[in-house]
Amino acid sequence: MRNDWDDEQLLAELREAMRARRAVPSWFVGTGKSAYAWHNIDAELAQLTYDSQTDADRVAVVRSENASIRALTFTSAHLSIELEVAGDSLLGQVIPLQAGTLEARTKAAVTTSPVDEAGFFALEPIPASPFQLRFRATDGAYVMTGWITL
Amino acid sequence: MGLKASRPGLAGHGDPAAAALPARAAAGDQGAWDEIVERYAPMVWSICTRFPLSDRDLEDVAQNVWLQLVEQLGKPPEPAALVGWLAAATRRECRRVVTAARGPEPPGTQPDAVPVDAVPVDAVPVDAVPVDAVPVDAVPVDAGPVDAGPVADDAVLGEEIIMAERHAALRAALAELPAPCQPLIGMLVSDPPHSDAAISTALGIPAESIGPRLARCLEWMRESSALLGLAEAGANRPGGDPGA
Repeated sequence: MRNDWDDEQLLAELREAMRARRAVPSWFVGTGKSAYAWHNIDAELAQLTYDSQTDADRVAVVRSENASIRALTFTSAHLSIELEVAGDSLLGQVIPLQAGTLEARTKAAVTTSPVDEAGFFALEPIPASPFQLRFRATDGAYVMTGWITL
Repeated sequence: MGLKASRPGLAGHGDPAAAALPARAAAGDQGAWDEIVERYAPMVWSICTRFPLSDRDLEDVAQNVWLQLVEQLGKPPEPAALVGWLAAATRRECRRVVTAARGPEPPGTQPDAVPVDAVPVDAVPVDAVPVDAVPVDAVPVDAGPVDAGPVADDAVLGEEIIMAERHAALRAALAELPAPCQPLIGMLVSDPPHSDAAISTALGIPAESIGPRLARCLEWMRESSALLGLAEAGANRPGGDPGA
């Protein structure tokens, strides 16, 4: 029970609580507050479900074939976005195959690229990390990834 | 000290104002969202400091964690489970960023062998965090980085959650106090604390009245809904009031 803290204990706890709050940089809190801008946006969030760099099953294969290829997959309830780093470009495909528009958002800028009927797109140059992708299909479906750091 | 109400052993807070925050944020109240962030950013930060992360990594983690929480608003988990969910999501994101920064490695060499995706976002049962197993009094107030073993195992996360709730309730209780109390207590808990003489000068009150005024303020504080809620939420934990 806390209510039996004596005055000294209560002050000590308060001091500790205020110290913990002061330890947090304001930009860190600001990042959290800005996330609310995404509230109620009609986009599904696609989660990172595969990363060649961290997926233990595939690491051995990647290393023996070509250690430099980085591949990522993001999956939402309705579609997947596959990404592959190829030189100075980021190549990708939307599955199931469909056309639409892809936005790559960094903290500084938004660039828009077409996605063809086969679901393919190319981002060149590779957006500065961290970045986020938002895909709007021609049928109106809207999916965004979390922030990606390559 | 006797306790009238017995609540299920929730991880959360009994403070009704705090419990209402997620619903208000889900309904479009940015102020309520900001309060959630203010309450729990110190916990997210504290968990992150257990991992070797750069400022950019930290920002990456913060963006993903809070974005995921925005996505969860208005859905389960229950308000009381929010803090447990947030702690688990923070640990998962930290592990992901650390693993990505480390680069490809042969399988089995990672000291922290829990797969990044082992804790699915939607399925973090609050019961998986052994909140109730940690006696409140056993929580070290100044839990530094863990040097040995996993950097943030479930017991560590449980401690972070309890500490976050306690600290958030204390800060809320301070904010609830009548106006004359806030600068007085603020000066006493500042780092370093002010002397009675400095407080007397700054607040224009006789030095000999500081003690009695402080006692009165702290008494009010104990009766605040934030601290009463905290006591209620912690009542069923081992280490809580044995007489309850």
